[in-house]
Amino acid sequence: MRARLLAALAALVAASLASGATARSTATGPLTIYAAASLTEVFKTLDPAQNYSFGGSNALETQIRNGAPADVFASAAPLNAERLFKAGLVDKPVTFTANRLALIVPKSNPAGITSIYDLRSKPVKLVVAAPAVPVGGYTLTVLRKMGLSSVLGKVVSRESDVKAVTGKVALGQADAGFVYTTDARPVSDQVTVIRIPAWAQPRVRYEIAVVSRSSNKAAAQAWVKRVLSAKGQTALKNAGFLPLPKASS
Amino acid sequence: MTGPFSRRRLLTVAAGGAALAALPVRPAFAATDEELAYANFAVSGELLLADLYGKALGADVLTDPGRAALRNGRRAAIQHARALSSLLTGAGQDAPTAQDFDFQWPENAFATPAAIAATGRIVLRTMLGVYQTALVAVSEPTYRILYASLAASVGQQLGALTALAASGVVQPFPVALDLESASGTLEPYLG
Repeated sequence: MRARLLAALAALVAASLASGATARSTATGPLTIYAAASLTEVFKTLDPAQNYSFGGSNALETQIRNGAPADVFASAAPLNAERLFKAGLVDKPVTFTANRLALIVPKSNPAGITSIYDLRSKPVKLVVAAPAVPVGGYTLTVLRKMGLSSVLGKVVSRESDVKAVTGKVALGQADAGFVYTTDARPVSDQVTVIRIPAWAQPRVRYEIAVVSRSSNKAAAQAWVKRVLSAKGQTALKNAGFLPLPKASS
Repeated sequence: MTGPFSRRRLLTVAAGGAALAALPVRPAFAATDEELAYANFAVSGELLLADLYGKALGADVLTDPGRAALRNGRRAAIQHARALSSLLTGAGQDAPTAQDFDFQWPENAFATPAAIAATGRIVLRTMLGVYQTALVAVSEPTYRILYASLAASVGQQLGALTALAASGVVQPFPVALDLESASGTLEPYLG
């Protein structure tokens, strides 16, 4: 009996050693993935087994810089990942998806907004993300391209990430807010989406990288590959994200 | 004149684009966002036009004089986009490129010369309308010269496409358009 148990244990160990990164991930526990708030739903759907910390990419960048124990960093703007790469804190980042901005208003639409140009002419309580947050920077780009920067005078709140913007509009605490189109989907019963013209869209590119001091690098690399795989890309597409940009695909 | 096109008219269309490429566009240190918005929209519209001409040529439904008009129009659109991109980069903004768009065209938009002319005239009239408005909305003289030249060139292209359809009406007073209206018209095509 004892010999049979030992043989079974030995077989288990051998199988574990032979089965690659995913099994190593399981052996050492789940990965810690720092990801842009806009990736919340899709990453949890893609792989519910990992530990996630979602937030503004700028805040996550700062935390990694300060030694937070992340294995993977997925940013909503190239700048945040590239800065960490230059500092030697993450491996070379790769672009893995893209997104678009939209204006959302509460379903009740108390300000009567039907076009982004209405922000200029109507009294509105506008909520945006802070300029250092990727979606906040992209919002400034949209407004600058459309010659609508003056509407920033109507901003009543600058939030720390896109989910906070979405929440305030969905709860009717603001008349309008700028978010990614993918953030409007989970609250589609509470908000109405107003399209931002294609000519005014910023280049929203997401980058992902393995954190250099990860104690679980092989599993982290395997996870990045999973996001880039056909399965990962399908999950992103199903959540409303755009395919890999032509220039970087 | 032979048929709906004359060699002289085609050369005139081509000359419009070539002359624009040589226009000096001074970096705009004092340009406002409102002024630069016209250029942002116009680059996108010119890239759309270049795509339209390219697809029309690819459809291969036109005889040679008509194809020459499309080639000239495409050349002009590319040169316009370059001039407007220079304006934007000179003012410190990123200019859009064709890779930023997934242009959408109605089914059968390139099935016949008349269909090509109809779709092309929608885009061209929109661009002409915006250039007219930009002419009075911007304060920088070199911008105004650029927009006047762009309007003239687009007007020539409109004439060429009207001749292509052999049924269009030349507007005596093309309508000036604000950005919101123009954006609404081109949005289905810009993707």
